[in-house]
Amino acid sequence: MQTVGRTRTHFLIRAWTVFVVLAIYLPIACGALAGLSKGRYFAFPVRIFSTEWWGKTLDSFEIHVLVQNSVLIALIVTVLSVLFAFFGALAFARYPWKGRRAFQRLLLLPIFFPQPVLGLALLLWFNALGISPSWKTAVVAHLVWIVPVVTLVIAIQVFSFDPVLEEAASDLGASRLFTLRTVTLPILWPGIWSGALFAFLLSWGNFPLSLYTAGADSTIPKWLYSKMVAGYTPMVPALGTMSTLTAAALLLGGGLIRLLIRRRAELRAREG
Amino acid sequence: MSSVAASSLSDSSAAPKTPRPVLQLVDVRKVFDGFAAVDGISLDIEEGEFVTIVGPSGSGKTTLLRMLAGLESPSGGYITLRGELINDVPSNRRPTCLVFQSLALFPHMTVGDNIEFPLRVRKMAPEERRRRALELMAKVRLPEDYYAKNVMLCSGGEKQRVALARAFAYDPDVLFFDEPLSALDYKLKKLLEKELKDLHRESGKTFVYITHSLEEAMVMSDRIGVMRAGKVVQIGTPEQIYSTPADRFVAEFFGEVNVVPIRRTEGGWLRRDGKPVAVAPGLSIDGDEASVVIRPEYMRFVTEEAGADNTLSGTIFNEYSLGSRLQYQIRSRTGRTFLVEVPRAAAWKGDGEVTIGWDAANAIVVGG
Repeated sequence: MQTVGRTRTHFLIRAWTVFVVLAIYLPIACGALAGLSKGRYFAFPVRIFSTEWWGKTLDSFEIHVLVQNSVLIALIVTVLSVLFAFFGALAFARYPWKGRRAFQRLLLLPIFFPQPVLGLALLLWFNALGISPSWKTAVVAHLVWIVPVVTLVIAIQVFSFDPVLEEAASDLGASRLFTLRTVTLPILWPGIWSGALFAFLLSWGNFPLSLYTAGADSTIPKWLYSKMVAGYTPMVPALGTMSTLTAAALLLGGGLIRLLIRRRAELRAREG
Repeated sequence: MSSVAASSLSDSSAAPKTPRPVLQLVDVRKVFDGFAAVDGISLDIEEGEFVTIVGPSGSGKTTLLRMLAGLESPSGGYITLRGELINDVPSNRRPTCLVFQSLALFPHMTVGDNIEFPLRVRKMAPEERRRRALELMAKVRLPEDYYAKNVMLCSGGEKQRVALARAFAYDPDVLFFDEPLSALDYKLKKLLEKELKDLHRESGKTFVYITHSLEEAMVMSDRIGVMRAGKVVQIGTPEQIYSTPADRFVAEFFGEVNVVPIRRTEGGWLRRDGKPVAVAPGLSIDGDEASVVIRPEYMRFVTEEAGADNTLSGTIFNEYSLGSRLQYQIRSRTGRTFLVEVPRAAAWKGDGEVTIGWDAANAIVVGG
């Protein structure tokens, strides 16, 4: 009886897993296939396959500019938001200070604010201040929403950090800078790393904020949307697939680099 | 007190011959939001001494230690190290090292890296660091192949040894310990207590240890200071503290005791039940209220053959086995509970109605 029950449970777990994976990846696969269609219009099933649209996408100057914009915005947002969020997270989770609870609540608010409304509000502000919207204002808009998220991500790591370790380092003669370099940062690295990843992906995929605040400059999500609404070409699914593949490659590469670093540290430790 | 320190120095070869305070505290206080956690402590700690500060939690002993280590600055008073005022010297500029209660080992480092940390701060060359770390590991009895082991994979006792080796790597003049053994099981604790005592003797360094455990203090210390509510109520050798506690608090802190309140009258000291109390000659107590403190092992059953200076009658209501000894709980006529501890061979054979007593020479009389 027991084994029958267990076998059935195992089967159900496996079936559910397969279903979830299919539900996630089937639409993506369909999108990818649509980009490989020879036809001009979005239609299933794909009649004739070709890499024509992939080639066109790769050659298009417009798309180069788009990718450049998106990468630039995402990179700047990543660096700035990790910087702000690191210190924010220390204030959030590390030091007891007057108004910390209020700070914790205030920080969460922008995350729950609907992004289109936030984007519009920011656009109105930029107008009022006489700043014409461009990719630079989009960076600011992204930061408003992404810094709180990254702060939370890093704060989780900071919560589990025992401040006694810093006292111990100091007690063993280390200066503040040495302690930061050898104790605090290495222990917080996983949190900072996840925070940076979140920042990049959230900025890379952000549509509502870019729509309102990037002005004439376009980003990948913005362009995809506008082409979906009017003037569809198979370049849309092609570009979508490419950006997904690039993100996957980046994630994989990052993981690989981390693994290599750890291997080297272990090897060094063994050799002394 | 100085004679005690001198005797402890005679068996430590590294320490200088003439004892002089390495650490001197003068009226040290620490006030948090109007609450005096440490309330005016003056104390001399001699070179090479093993001093233990005991006290219940909240007595201010950890705060005291943190001030000595430089992690907290005193609100008042002076702390001097070898004659130099160190009140405001930060912890990384003090030749002292603290072994934390949580040990504070760096979780992202190997055993070797943890021990080498203070050497890395001093920019010692890697090969020399490694040699020194392995030396220290041998000293604290850690196997050599632990060098590359992740410190978080070590057991409680091993972590203890890593923390100790790391503190020694710093080569401090004074080592502080904040109850580092409190999380270990009894057997391991006993073992490490002895090893710590050995390390103290071999290194000749000054150890200041805090704990709430009387046993730990008794095993290891040259001198014990008892803290209560931010003050040191008594300081002396383990023997002095045990046999002549300064007051009832110290007496009760150092294990289970029987307490008989007494008061002074023109006819001498009387118990609550009106009977006179025989006390050891030469008693000097200020005030008219005092307590007689008798340890359970000095309380015994009184029979016709074996009398006692002081007696009282009561009823046995509990009996415990302590292994080789037996302990009885007896309720007196006045409703007080007394403890009598006897060797197993001397187990009480009679009925529950008993007379118990003690001799004046075995009792301690404290004020209050």
